[in-house]
Amino acid sequence: MGGLTSTSKGLYNKGKIGMTFKLPPGLALQKVDERIMTLNVGPQHPGSGHMRLIVQIDGDYIVACDPDPGYVHRGEEKMAEYRNYILNIPHLERPVIHDSCNVLYPYVLGSEEILGIEVPERAKYVRVIASELNRCIYIMYWLAIYGIFLGHSTMFMWPAGDRELLIDLMEKMTGARVTHAHFVPGGVRNDLPPNFEDVCLRQVNYFEKRIKEYAAIFYDNPILIARTRDTGILSRQDAIRYGTTGSVLRASGVDYDLRVKEPYDVYEELDVHTNVMKEGDSYARSKIPWLDMLESCNIIRQALQKMPKSGSVRTKLKPNPKGKGLDSVYKRVESGRGSLGCYIVSDGKVEPYRVKLSVPSFRNLIALPNLLRGEKLGNMPSVYWSLNYWPVEADR
Amino acid sequence: MGTATGIIRALNSGIKHIAMKRFTLRYPEEKLKFVGDGYQFDPSTGVGIAGYKGRHMLFHDHCTGCQLCSIACEGVAEAIAMVKVPEEFKQNKKSIMPQIDYGKCVFCGLCVDACPFYALYMTNDYELSSFSKEGLIYTPAQLQVKPYVAQDSEIKISDRGATHG
Repeated sequence: MGGLTSTSKGLYNKGKIGMTFKLPPGLALQKVDERIMTLNVGPQHPGSGHMRLIVQIDGDYIVACDPDPGYVHRGEEKMAEYRNYILNIPHLERPVIHDSCNVLYPYVLGSEEILGIEVPERAKYVRVIASELNRCIYIMYWLAIYGIFLGHSTMFMWPAGDRELLIDLMEKMTGARVTHAHFVPGGVRNDLPPNFEDVCLRQVNYFEKRIKEYAAIFYDNPILIARTRDTGILSRQDAIRYGTTGSVLRASGVDYDLRVKEPYDVYEELDVHTNVMKEGDSYARSKIPWLDMLESCNIIRQALQKMPKSGSVRTKLKPNPKGKGLDSVYKRVESGRGSLGCYIVSDGKVEPYRVKLSVPSFRNLIALPNLLRGEKLGNMPSVYWSLNYWPVEADR
Repeated sequence: MGTATGIIRALNSGIKHIAMKRFTLRYPEEKLKFVGDGYQFDPSTGVGIAGYKGRHMLFHDHCTGCQLCSIACEGVAEAIAMVKVPEEFKQNKKSIMPQIDYGKCVFCGLCVDACPFYALYMTNDYELSSFSKEGLIYTPAQLQVKPYVAQDSEIKISDRGATHG
């Protein structure tokens, strides 16, 4: 003790306990209750993804939660201002690589309107099939992580393995297993391979049979129900007020699906059924994506049946297509997480003037602090991941 | 449904899988089968031909050194550089051809779409790992070689489930 004070006297005298610091104007020290402990979950914690949750707990109960996204910001929107309409494709699908067709969909729809391109009928059906397959791939990945968050290892292994059935189809269709770069303004990059319809139908039918088996082991499992039922309840009014979308909104009893409400491409001609649950708890939010997958299988079968058997899949573009002057367009689609919008402003140049993505992940995250207040800390992963949140997309 | 029956059903659903065949692929011994010969592009119709987007293949007798692939890659990955080749070609007066750095390539295939002379295609070769960064840079001479890719495994669906075989 004596040695310490003699060697570093000056240093220790500065930080006397009870001394008042003069803070810069505009800043105030936070008052800390002694009962409350602040816990950082993330950004390297596997239970949060690439983001941080600042959780304040009193004993085992969460008092407040402050989500802190922004660790994987890549500047996608700024990058889009320096590349032409075609070269924007590979980087704009990076925010959600396993849902890459859906992430690109609004951008492609918007740039088609700006560039004034007509899309062949067959290409629209190919897009719907690719988009629905991608939705299933995304939800399977999400479900695998939801399983491991709840400590259910089987539910991690099964979706991760069964995803392969659909990834195999996407690989045959587009040539890549994750980042497909398949949609372009004017259609899709390549036609379906020969004999694809039969292979697709067989694998999708088997996939549907397979995911129905998840009910016994996961969704009807009393242990899962005990852990997720009545946790993190989001009421119908709150769900609308916070602006949540997708499965979170449908789990709170709002019948809202852009494929039905604002049909794009050929969704008008397909029979799409919206799954709605009234509970608004974690269990409902985890079950709605599973019901969506079953619905996606139906849509794929319908699209395969109604698709024109031959024809062009891509309108030939001029090199370096341009907009017709000052123009702006907003398009949105139903992605695996909810409504995903893209706002494009063109000033008649080769590059878009501005590309703004309105992402569902960020909208769903806004509800998180209100869902976690009063919950037990052990329920945090299940409530957090049930929001269908993807950190990279929120930061874009 | 009672708690006990629910748990027994869940267990039963898992136990059934002990008798099922393995679905996963034993990768180095088995390799996936792809459709076609790789991603190709037909500039006359403006539509690609479905196939796996793997390592590129360059046809020296078609390449004119127009740099369109390199320009396309500038906005994506900056993986393509135009380099001098020792041979002389009638259609390629400057003797420059693309050299691709697979440490940067994202396999989007937009370079293939950009080529108007049927000179650049993609093949099924995906085993490109190397011990050094220099080993990932493929010169025009290396890109000329058509790779051999073993393809033996496909998803098969039977009444007892799906397998790779």
